[in-house]
Amino acid sequence: MIIEIAAQGGFGGMAAARLRKTIDVDDQPEQMRQELCDAFGPDELARLARQPCGACADRMTYRITVTEDCESHSFTLHEQQIPPEMLDLIDQM
Amino acid sequence: MCFLLNSSHHHSIHCIVPPYMLRVLALRGDPRTAEMARTLLKQTEKLRDERAELTRAGLPPDQPLGGAYATSAVTPAKDLCCPDRRIHDGQFRAALPGKLVRSEGQDPTGIADADTAYDAAGQVFSLFAEEYGRNSLDGEGMPLIATVHHRRDYNNAFWNGTQMAYGTGDGKIFRTFLELSVIGHEMAHGVIQHSGGLIYENQSGALNESIADVFGSLALQRALGQEVHQADWLVGRGILGPGINGVALRSMKAPGTAYADDLLGQDPQPWHMDHFVTTTDDNGGVHINSGIPNHAFYLFCAYLGGRSWELPGRVWYRALQTLNNPMASFSDWADQTMDSAIELAGRGSIETVMLRRAWKLVGIAI
Repeated sequence: MIIEIAAQGGFGGMAAARLRKTIDVDDQPEQMRQELCDAFGPDELARLARQPCGACADRMTYRITVTEDCESHSFTLHEQQIPPEMLDLIDQM
Repeated sequence: MCFLLNSSHHHSIHCIVPPYMLRVLALRGDPRTAEMARTLLKQTEKLRDERAELTRAGLPPDQPLGGAYATSAVTPAKDLCCPDRRIHDGQFRAALPGKLVRSEGQDPTGIADADTAYDAAGQVFSLFAEEYGRNSLDGEGMPLIATVHHRRDYNNAFWNGTQMAYGTGDGKIFRTFLELSVIGHEMAHGVIQHSGGLIYENQSGALNESIADVFGSLALQRALGQEVHQADWLVGRGILGPGINGVALRSMKAPGTAYADDLLGQDPQPWHMDHFVTTTDDNGGVHINSGIPNHAFYLFCAYLGGRSWELPGRVWYRALQTLNNPMASFSDWADQTMDSAIELAGRGSIETVMLRRAWKLVGIAI
C-alpha cells in the first residue's frame, strides 16, 4: 500500500511550507505497518471525512491518497478531523 | 459538516501547491522541475473543478456561529482584571493541550517557548483589556490556553476555537512561531470568533485574517511603544528560516514585499483591489487578499500619525463588535469602519476624511 499525503493552508498560507510525503507501507517495520494500515484504510479515512470540522482559522488541509492493487482512493481531511495519534504517524513518516 | 468533504478515485499525484507557486517553478525551474510544475498545474485545475462541484463555498455552516453581535463588548467589561494564562508543552505530539507547565502567576519555566507564550499572551490580553475594555478573548474572562512544541517540525500556528497552538517550525522554512505579532494574530482569531465571527472563506475569510493581523501588529507596536512611523508593520518578523530571503510573513505597509525567495517565490499579497486574487486555494485566498484591508488600515494610521492602537485600533475594534455580518465583503467592512469612525470621532471629522481616503487608495469607495 502506498500512502501519499499533501497538506496546504496554515498560518502562513505559503506554498513551500506545505507538507508532501509518500510512504510505501510494505517497506515499514511490522508494528509501523500495522499502525499505518489501521489508520489509513479507505474505510477509516472515509469515516473521518464525515466528521464535523468546526473552526478552521489557520488550520491545515490534508489530501490523502491511498493506492493498493492499482486502485487509488483520495480523501480531503481538515486537520481538526484527524485524530492526534494519526497526526503523530504523519509526523513520523 | 465540512465544506470540503469528498472522496474520489485517482491514479495520479494530486497537487496542493498553489498555482502562483507552480507558475514560478514552471518559469524558473530546471527542465525537469518546470515540466513537473506544468503537469501539476493541469492536475490542480482538474482538482479545482472537482472541488467546485463538491463544496459549499460561501454558504454559512450548519451550526450557528457563537457570540453573534455581542453589543456588551462595545462597552468596557465589568470586573475586568487579570489574565488567566495556562501554558502547556505539547512535547512534539499532536494531542492538545499537552502537559501544563505554567499557570497564571507562576515563575518562568526556563522553557523559552513556554515563557514567550506566557508573556505575549499577557501583552495581548492587556491590549484588549486596557485599550478596548475587553475581558479576554470571549469578553467574559476565558482562560488563555496555549500549547507550545505542538507536533514535530510543524510549520504552523493556529487557534482551534478554544486555545492557541504553536509549532516550532522545521528550522528551514520557519524557525519559530513564538513572536508577538503571530501570537496576537492567533488570539485575535479568538476575539473574532466571539464577536460574531467571519466565515473563513473568500472576502469574509480575508477580513478574518486581516483583522487578526491588525490586532497582532497593534499588540506588538503597543508593547514596543512605537508610533505609526516607528513601526515596521510586519507580521511575523524573524520567523522565516535562516536561509530564506525575506524579513517576515506579511507586510501591512507594503503588501507583496515581505519575502522574495528562490524556494518560496514572491510574497503574493496585493495592496489594491485591481490585483485581487481569485482562487480556490487557501480557502479562497484568505492569506493573500488580506493584504488589501491590511494596507487600508496602515494608510489610515499613517495619515493620522501617533499611536495606532488608540483611535485607529478603537475604530477597527468597534467595527468588529458591531458588524453582525459573518459573510461581510471588503466593502461591507469598509462601511462598518466608517460608521465606527463617525461614532468615535464625529461626522465630517478629519479622521473620517482620512479613513475614506485610505479605503479609496486600495480601491474601495465608501
